[in-house]
Amino acid sequence: MYSFVLRRVLLALPTLLGVTLVVFATIKLVPGDPVTSLLGPAATPEARRELVARLGLDDPVPLQYLTWLRHALTGDLGVSIARQRPVTEILAAALGNTLILAAAAFALAVAGGLALGAAGAAFPGRLPGRICDALATAAVSAPQYAVALVLVALAVGRLPTGGMHDAFAPGGAGDLLAHLVLPAIAAGLVPMGLIARTARTALADLLGGDLVEHLRARGLPGRVVLAHAAHNAVPSLLTIGGLQLAYLVEGAVFVETVFSWPGVGSALFQALSQRDLPVVEAGVLVVAVCFVGVNLLVDVAHAAVDPRVRA
Amino acid sequence: MRTTLTVVAAILAATLSTGCGASSPDAAGAGEPASPGQGRGRGGTLVVGMTSSDLPNLDGVLNGQGFEGTRFVGFQLFEGLTRYDLSRDDRVPPVTGALATSWTHDDEARTWTFELRQGVKFHDGTPFDADAVIFNLDRYLQKGNPYATAALQSAAAEYAGTIASYRKVDDRHIEIVTKEPNGHLPDDLTHVYIVSPAAVKRGDFGSHPVGTGPFRFGSIRQGRQLELLPFAGYWRGAPKLDRLVLRPIPDPAARVAALRAGEVNWIEYPTPDDVAVLRDAGFQVLTNGYDHIWYWILDTSKKPWDDVRVRRAANYAVNREALAKDLLRGTADPAYQAAPRATAAYDPQGDVYSYDPGKAKSLLAEAGVPGGFDTTVVVPTGGSGNLTPVPIAESLQRDLAAVGIRVTIKTIEWSALLSQEASGTVPYGADAIAQSTTLFQSEALLPLFLGSGSPFWTGHYSNKNVDALLKTAAQSPDLDGRAETYRKALDLVTRDAPWLFVVNDRNPRALAPTVHGLVQPKSWFLDLTTVWVGGR
Repeated sequence: MYSFVLRRVLLALPTLLGVTLVVFATIKLVPGDPVTSLLGPAATPEARRELVARLGLDDPVPLQYLTWLRHALTGDLGVSIARQRPVTEILAAALGNTLILAAAAFALAVAGGLALGAAGAAFPGRLPGRICDALATAAVSAPQYAVALVLVALAVGRLPTGGMHDAFAPGGAGDLLAHLVLPAIAAGLVPMGLIARTARTALADLLGGDLVEHLRARGLPGRVVLAHAAHNAVPSLLTIGGLQLAYLVEGAVFVETVFSWPGVGSALFQALSQRDLPVVEAGVLVVAVCFVGVNLLVDVAHAAVDPRVRA
Repeated sequence: MRTTLTVVAAILAATLSTGCGASSPDAAGAGEPASPGQGRGRGGTLVVGMTSSDLPNLDGVLNGQGFEGTRFVGFQLFEGLTRYDLSRDDRVPPVTGALATSWTHDDEARTWTFELRQGVKFHDGTPFDADAVIFNLDRYLQKGNPYATAALQSAAAEYAGTIASYRKVDDRHIEIVTKEPNGHLPDDLTHVYIVSPAAVKRGDFGSHPVGTGPFRFGSIRQGRQLELLPFAGYWRGAPKLDRLVLRPIPDPAARVAALRAGEVNWIEYPTPDDVAVLRDAGFQVLTNGYDHIWYWILDTSKKPWDDVRVRRAANYAVNREALAKDLLRGTADPAYQAAPRATAAYDPQGDVYSYDPGKAKSLLAEAGVPGGFDTTVVVPTGGSGNLTPVPIAESLQRDLAAVGIRVTIKTIEWSALLSQEASGTVPYGADAIAQSTTLFQSEALLPLFLGSGSPFWTGHYSNKNVDALLKTAAQSPDLDGRAETYRKALDLVTRDAPWLFVVNDRNPRALAPTVHGLVQPKSWFLDLTTVWVGGR
C-alpha cells in the first residue's frame, strides 16, 4: 500500500511541473502585460518601460521561468505585480474561502445526490423514481451562471446575496452560514446531479444484477444484500465524488463572481486579466496540487476498498 | 488531508473571531441587515459596493483598480500639497490648497514655492512638516530609495515625473523645480500623496497606511472589505460618518441585488437598464459629467479614413442622442466634439456634429466613396470607464451602415488592447479602436492621446498647430488662459475629426434613501466628508 502511494506521488510531480510550464508559456503568448494594469492606461511610456525593466519582464522568457521555478522550489512564490503583496498571502486567503465554499457545496452535492440516486434506483420506472431522475438531469444541465443569477433574484431581501458576512453588523458563524447558502447551492447543483446519476446507475445495475440475485438466492436478508450492493457501488461513487470535489476546489469562477466570494477562482480570473504572472502561476499550481491531491486520496481510498486496483 | 482541514479550521476561526476593530453602533438583530445610523442626525455606516474585483492597494500612489482606488482609498486616506475642491456639483472642480496653503511661481512656471499648512497631524499623531514632504518626494523620485519599490516609483512618475529638483526652504516652505515649464503642477500634486514618514519607516505601510486625509485606516479583510474610520483630527473637520466600508462587487447584477437587499447602501455604476428600476424602488440615482469621452480612434493614415471628409461623414452619421437616451438610459451625454462637456475647455459653440445622415452621404460622395466602404474596429469587451462597449459599438455599426460605412467589430480583452496601444500598435491590424479616456485628470497626458509622434497609438494623427497649442497650454499657470488654449486645441481636433466622438459618461451611482449629504461633483472623484447615513 505504501509503495502504491509513493508511486502515485512521484507520478504527480512531473504533472505539476508540466502545469507550471504550460501556464508560463501560455500567459507569455497572450497579448497584454501586467504593467499596464498596474500603472493604468494613462501611464507614460517611460514609466511603463522602466517598470518592465525593473520587474525583470524584459529578460528572456526561459530565464524568467527558471528564476520563478528556483524561487518557487524554495517556497518563495513572489510578490503580486498588480497588488504588490506576497502571493502566498493572497492565495492563502483565497484558498481558505474556496475551501469553505467547496466543503459546503460538496456536502450538499453528496447528500442530495445520494438521496436522489437511491430514490431513483429504488423506484425504477415509477413516478417517484422518474421525478428523481428528472431532477438529477435538470441539476446537471443547469448553467451555473444563470442559476446563480436566478438565486440572487429570488433571494433578495431573504438571504444575503453577496460577500461572506454582513458589513453593518459583523456576525458570527450564523452570519457566515447565511452567506454560504446561495453560493453553495449554485456551486453544488451540477455535482449533485452527477453524483445522483452515478449513484442511480450503479445501484440499479447492482440491484438488478447477478450479485444481488446470487445473494438473495442464498437467503440473505434484504438489509445484508443492500450492504453488499452498496459496497460494490462505492468505487464508482468515490471516483465521481472525488472529481467533483476537485472541480469545486479548482474554483467555481462564475459562482464566486456573482456572489462576490473572494476565492481562488476569482483571484485567478482577476490575476489573468491583469497578466499578473506570479499570482497566476502560483494559483494554478495550488489548484493543480489540490486536484492531484484529491485524486490521489480517491485512488488510495479506492485501493483500500477494492484490493484489485493496487496492482 | 489533515493540513487542509487545519487550514479550513483556521480560516473559519479567523472569520468568526474577527470582530472588526470598529465600534458598530448600528448593529441590529443577527441575520437581518441593520439600517445604518438609525435614529441619529449624523454618523452611520456607509457600505459601498465598488465595481472592482478586488480591494484597491493601500500603499499611497499604488491604488490601482482603474482609479476607483484613487476615488475611495487614495483621496480618502491621503492628501497631496493640493486637492480638488469637490464641494459643488455645478462647476469643474478647481484645485485648492491641501497640505500647502498657497504657492507662487516664477515667470517661467518652473520654480514653485509652496507654503505649508501648519498644525496638521498624520493619523498616527506625528506632525506634518517640510521634512515629511522631502521624505515623500525622495521616496517617489530618488533612485534606489530604500523605502520605495519599482512599482511605486513608476506609478508616481505619472504625476511627479516632471519634477527636476526640490528642496526645503525653511520649516514652512518647499521649493519645487520642474524640468520644463509646467503650468498644471498644482493639479498634478493632488495625486502626489504626502504620507507619514514614521509609518513608512515601520515597514508595513502597505497594510497599515497613514496619511493626513479625512479617513484613517480601520481594518481589512483581504479581498472582501476595507473599513475606513473618520479621522477626528482632520484639518477640515472630521467626516460625519462613523464608518466607511468598501466592498468589491464586480458583477453588476449582484451589485444591484446587494443594494436592494440592504447589504450595501451605495453602489457604483448600476447598469443603464437598472437605473429606472432603482429610481422607481425609491433609491437615489446620482449622475454628473466629468472629463470623460467614449470614442473611436480612426486610422488617419489609411484609406479612406485619411480623408477628413470621410471622418466627418462618420461623425455626422451616428445618432448620439438615441444612443445616450435609449441604450445608455441617460447615464451618458452625447459628445459632439473633442472636449468633454464637464471641462473648462468645453464650449457649446464647438458642438459641430449633429445627426445628419444626408450630410454624411454627400460628404462620402465628395470624398469619392459614394458607395461607402468596409472597415474594421477593435472593441474592448469591458474595462474601467468603457461603459457597455460592445452594445455601444453595435449601435454605431447600425448607424454607419445606413450611410454605407460597413463596420466589422472585432472584440478583444481590455488589458490586451491597452498594452498594444501603449506600444503603438493595433490588434488585428484594424482601422479603428473603440475606447474611453479621461482627458484632464492628468493634463500631461493630452499630448499622449493627441500629439504627433506619441508613442501611444493615436491613429497617426498629427497637427502641428494642435501640438503647439497643447504645449502652450501645459506651460501656462494661468487657469483661464490654459482653458482657452486647450479649447482652441480641441476645437482643431474636433474639425480634424481623428476620432468618432460618441458620448461623455455621467458616472451613475445609486444610493439608499438613508444616505445623505453627497454632492456629486463634475469629477471622477468625491468628497465623502459631508456624507452621513440615517433615517429618512
